[in-house]
Amino acid sequence: MSKSTKSGRGAQPVWRGLTTVCAVILAAALSAQPLVNTFRTDIDKFLGTQSTQIVTDDAGDAENLYTYTSDYSSTKELVTAIADLGERVSEEGTVLLKNNGALPLTADETKKVSLLGFSSYYPVRGGIMGSSLTENVGTDADTVDLVQALTARGFGLNPDLQPLYQSLEAVFTTEVQSWGGTITYKTITAPSVGGVFSSKEPSQAQMDGANANWKSGLSDYNVMVVTLARAGSENGTYMPGTAGVDPSQNLNQRDPLGLSDDERDLIQAAVDAKGSNGKVIVLINSSSAMELQEVQDNEGVDAILQIGLPGGYGFYGVADILSGAANPSGHLSDTYAVTIADSPAAQNFGNFEWTNPDPSITVNSEIVQAEGIYIGYKYYETRYADVVLGQGNAGNWNYADEVTYPFGYGLSYTTFEQKLNSVQVDLTAKTVTANVTVKNTGSVAGKDAIQLYVSLPYIQGGVEKAAIQLLDFAKTDELQPGESKDYTLVADAQNMTSWDSDANNAVGTKGNFILDPGTYYFTVGADAHEAVNNVLAAQGATVDGGSADNTQTWELAQRDETTFARSKAGVAVENQLADMDVNYWLPGTASYLSRSDWEGTWPKTYSGLTATADMLAIMDNDIYELGSGTGDPVTFGAANGLTLADLKGVTDLEDPRWSQLMDQITLEECMIRTGFGGTSTKAIESIMSPEAIQNDGPNGIYSYPLGQYANKTDDKDPCKVDANDPNLGFTFGTMPNATVIGQTFSKELARAFGETAGNYSLWANLTIYWGCGVNLHRVPYNSRNHEYYAEDSVLSAGLGNEFVQGGLKYGCLIAPKHLAFNDTEINRSGVATFMTEQQARENELRCFQSIVENGALALMTAYNRVGITQDNAHTGLMMNILRKEWGFKGLISEDFIMDANYTVLKEAVMNGVTMSCNTGDNSIAAVSEKYSYWTVENVGKDPAMQAALKQAMTWQNYALANSNALDGLSSSSHLVSVRTWYDNAITGLQIGSGVLTVLCAVAYVMSGKRKEN
Amino acid sequence: MKKSAGFFMTILSAIAAVVGVVAYIMNTRTNYFINLGVNTVVVVCAVAAIVIQVVYLIASGKGHNLFVDLLAVLPPVLLIVAAITLVSTRINGIAAIMTFENNAQNMADLTSAIVGIAGCVVAALIGVIASFFDAAKAKEAK
Repeated sequence: MSKSTKSGRGAQPVWRGLTTVCAVILAAALSAQPLVNTFRTDIDKFLGTQSTQIVTDDAGDAENLYTYTSDYSSTKELVTAIADLGERVSEEGTVLLKNNGALPLTADETKKVSLLGFSSYYPVRGGIMGSSLTENVGTDADTVDLVQALTARGFGLNPDLQPLYQSLEAVFTTEVQSWGGTITYKTITAPSVGGVFSSKEPSQAQMDGANANWKSGLSDYNVMVVTLARAGSENGTYMPGTAGVDPSQNLNQRDPLGLSDDERDLIQAAVDAKGSNGKVIVLINSSSAMELQEVQDNEGVDAILQIGLPGGYGFYGVADILSGAANPSGHLSDTYAVTIADSPAAQNFGNFEWTNPDPSITVNSEIVQAEGIYIGYKYYETRYADVVLGQGNAGNWNYADEVTYPFGYGLSYTTFEQKLNSVQVDLTAKTVTANVTVKNTGSVAGKDAIQLYVSLPYIQGGVEKAAIQLLDFAKTDELQPGESKDYTLVADAQNMTSWDSDANNAVGTKGNFILDPGTYYFTVGADAHEAVNNVLAAQGATVDGGSADNTQTWELAQRDETTFARSKAGVAVENQLADMDVNYWLPGTASYLSRSDWEGTWPKTYSGLTATADMLAIMDNDIYELGSGTGDPVTFGAANGLTLADLKGVTDLEDPRWSQLMDQITLEECMIRTGFGGTSTKAIESIMSPEAIQNDGPNGIYSYPLGQYANKTDDKDPCKVDANDPNLGFTFGTMPNATVIGQTFSKELARAFGETAGNYSLWANLTIYWGCGVNLHRVPYNSRNHEYYAEDSVLSAGLGNEFVQGGLKYGCLIAPKHLAFNDTEINRSGVATFMTEQQARENELRCFQSIVENGALALMTAYNRVGITQDNAHTGLMMNILRKEWGFKGLISEDFIMDANYTVLKEAVMNGVTMSCNTGDNSIAAVSEKYSYWTVENVGKDPAMQAALKQAMTWQNYALANSNALDGLSSSSHLVSVRTWYDNAITGLQIGSGVLTVLCAVAYVMSGKRKEN
Repeated sequence: MKKSAGFFMTILSAIAAVVGVVAYIMNTRTNYFINLGVNTVVVVCAVAAIVIQVVYLIASGKGHNLFVDLLAVLPPVLLIVAAITLVSTRINGIAAIMTFENNAQNMADLTSAIVGIAGCVVAALIGVIASFFDAAKAKEAK
């Protein structure tokens, strides 16, 4: 027998090891293949590759291929227009809250500015998460911060301060631990859900410690600009009062949206240092309303500007306002309360867990919006009115102690007079037409916001009514000093209706939009408080600042239950959301705030609720029994020879070609595309529907850079780009946040944003844009308020409608989101949201209604539950209100819900949702694996589900047919598969590693044999 | 038998695999991932790898044998399959938790998934290295 040692085994272990290496690589390559197929869409988007391509053989002439035309002839023009728009929005959306004459600065003063506060150097320009700023460098429109913008505009900045703050970075840096590393923020951040706010402003001691002489330069640079910031962020939240503040700091901060001692000390240091000739200007860099009474009251503070989150170019606008190159014309889209936590809505803002939560079905918490219709100014101004009128048990309540700046408030460098000349109510046309004269009574040119308000007749104990509510708005042209101009506003009378859940309706049930009899007061005001004072004065009350002369009245003799009993789509309205009232499920649980008894109905905090068995049967998200649906057989897979391009621009869904086309689609395609709708719509071969890329917003189309999907090869495309275009890396996440847009009160700018997005959509080939955030600012604590316009539904709807229409002009599908009641980020997946149907209809749903009725073709739903029912499964909201009452005909995506149970796919499809946000392989096996019930066998037994699937795909493709997704496509277009480089790499790896595995194994065996021999 | 480097590395690999599969099982019971159930491919591959490693260690003590030696090849292969399968079941959740659903509870739930994946990958890598070495030093032939 041979003698064998370790070394005597020779190369055998090495060959075994190599065999293992090769076999592991082979196994990895084989295992990765299904993974790649599942996430092919995401991989393609990440790598910029394409796995499928639609080829148009017979292109015909370019005019017919391309429906939409850009206003710009180059990407340089496009990005320059984006930058210009960002600057203009900031100019018109920045709100001058206080000015003792300090602003605008003189030319000399602009040369001696001291920027104080770390947020002057690290401002919040977009959301920390969601609507985050995309920095653009090396493009034709590079983004700027405050320092860069001021420098570009020729300001002179105190050179000592930037190094000082740079040396203090450790003080204000926030580190967020995450898998894969630590994320570092030098801006202020918003607390994560469950977290608290920590003030990051360096203390005076820290500043002195960093540079004992830092104040020495302030006498030369004695225009102090102090920036105070609060961040906006998706998936974050502020909590009311001291409970929302870092308890370890002891900075005398009573609310996360109030000031800390370090911030107070900084302001005081600026006040102390400014001397007799200096100025202190405070910039509020926040998308949430803050507690600013003490800053307002500080006589040393000369001016306050609310700048929101200015995006990539907005600081140019701020600079121009400081210098007087632009005149501020913004007005607040939220009420700035003295103590935010004292609002009725804040009494039920938080994490109120069920006593019997069940994570497996996403049952976590509830929120009872017991404030009823009284959110924001509708509360403050109504309670004020009842105090003045001595009614409604309004209590010992003083408006001045409650509100620092009312909704609609905003100063200018000039002054205006507005006169409401006439109002005509036309119930046949369902309009209110107001004629307003605006005169510039000051000494510089400027724009003003026209705010048309209405006060509805309130009957004690009847339907709740706010004492004042916005009915319409407009922005004037730039009026020269002394110039006067008439404006006509045509308001939708629907916006002054009230929802009465007990009213009779056209179908013999209950629930209707009504107009109560009595006197309707119309007025214009510089803000909501002036407006209500005008009305009170007209009613004979003694108030400061009210002008009865600036009101118009309209009398309604009898209650009107007929004019608005049918929607614009001709569908009779009725109660659809009765199950949103917590008392529907848990009788006697809650009472809702009523102005008939303010003190007696003041909202309690509803916590510790228990979901009953009946409730859990719905909350388990398994509501629709697959196989229970009946109906006529549904045609799939017909050979009718049509493609979606044949219906390009066909807006009539009754056109028989639509049903012929959709008969071609297969059941499997419907099931896959509804189940896997994330990131893009994906191509559907049977009807040759193209992939349409989805993008998040709202601060611009920011999911992909301009060049990722831009056409670099097709000469017929008028938006073809050069492969060396310097703007291919430009990403359009640069706009000021939605609150700033809200503060413009400018439908023109909202439309301009939509049009600019539409143009960008054409160049970037990015069709679907989840960009129109119209959830309400129920409370300032929702850190996602930065993605939504306002606390008022009419302002939100008016801006959102223009934005969406602007996009549609260029075939860009801008979607309003999130339908509906996504008012908190706390347990946003699963939170049961309770309210009255009146609140739902008059507040948040009113934000969406007119946008949808005016023809929006895309929409995103919400994470939360509507009452106890998962939003997408709520038939009353999704099908009866959205699809039927409002007549919505477009595509609908769920939000980013990954859990198969909470996705409620079968229920969502039955309720008109056209796609979930999940992604997966283009196979029925993959979609059935994700949703175990979603098999051809199960769906094949359910004609009702089949019909719903086909209807959903019809709506989705109808939207695409009327978008720029079909640009470049003709009837002859067909889908071809493309092998990407990574497909080739994986295949090569499989073959190579397979061969090597065999060779190494053979070598291993042979080496053993040789040794034995 | 006289233990060689391969022996200890195989034990390390087996321990990492046990950590991985236990973490995975724990992960399937977390609030965030409970609805995804238990993936049999992950469990079967990981457990089979551990069993084979044990068999290999025992068998290799009885002398070198071509087919026993080849048992060292299988565990890394099975573990890499388990790891990739586990990634495929968790990647949506990872993406969601790292972005839209980032909160302390979800991050905690994610931890066991990451540990599970890391355990399988580390076990596979150690197994690969171990396969270059014998588990036992060969006895001198008489």
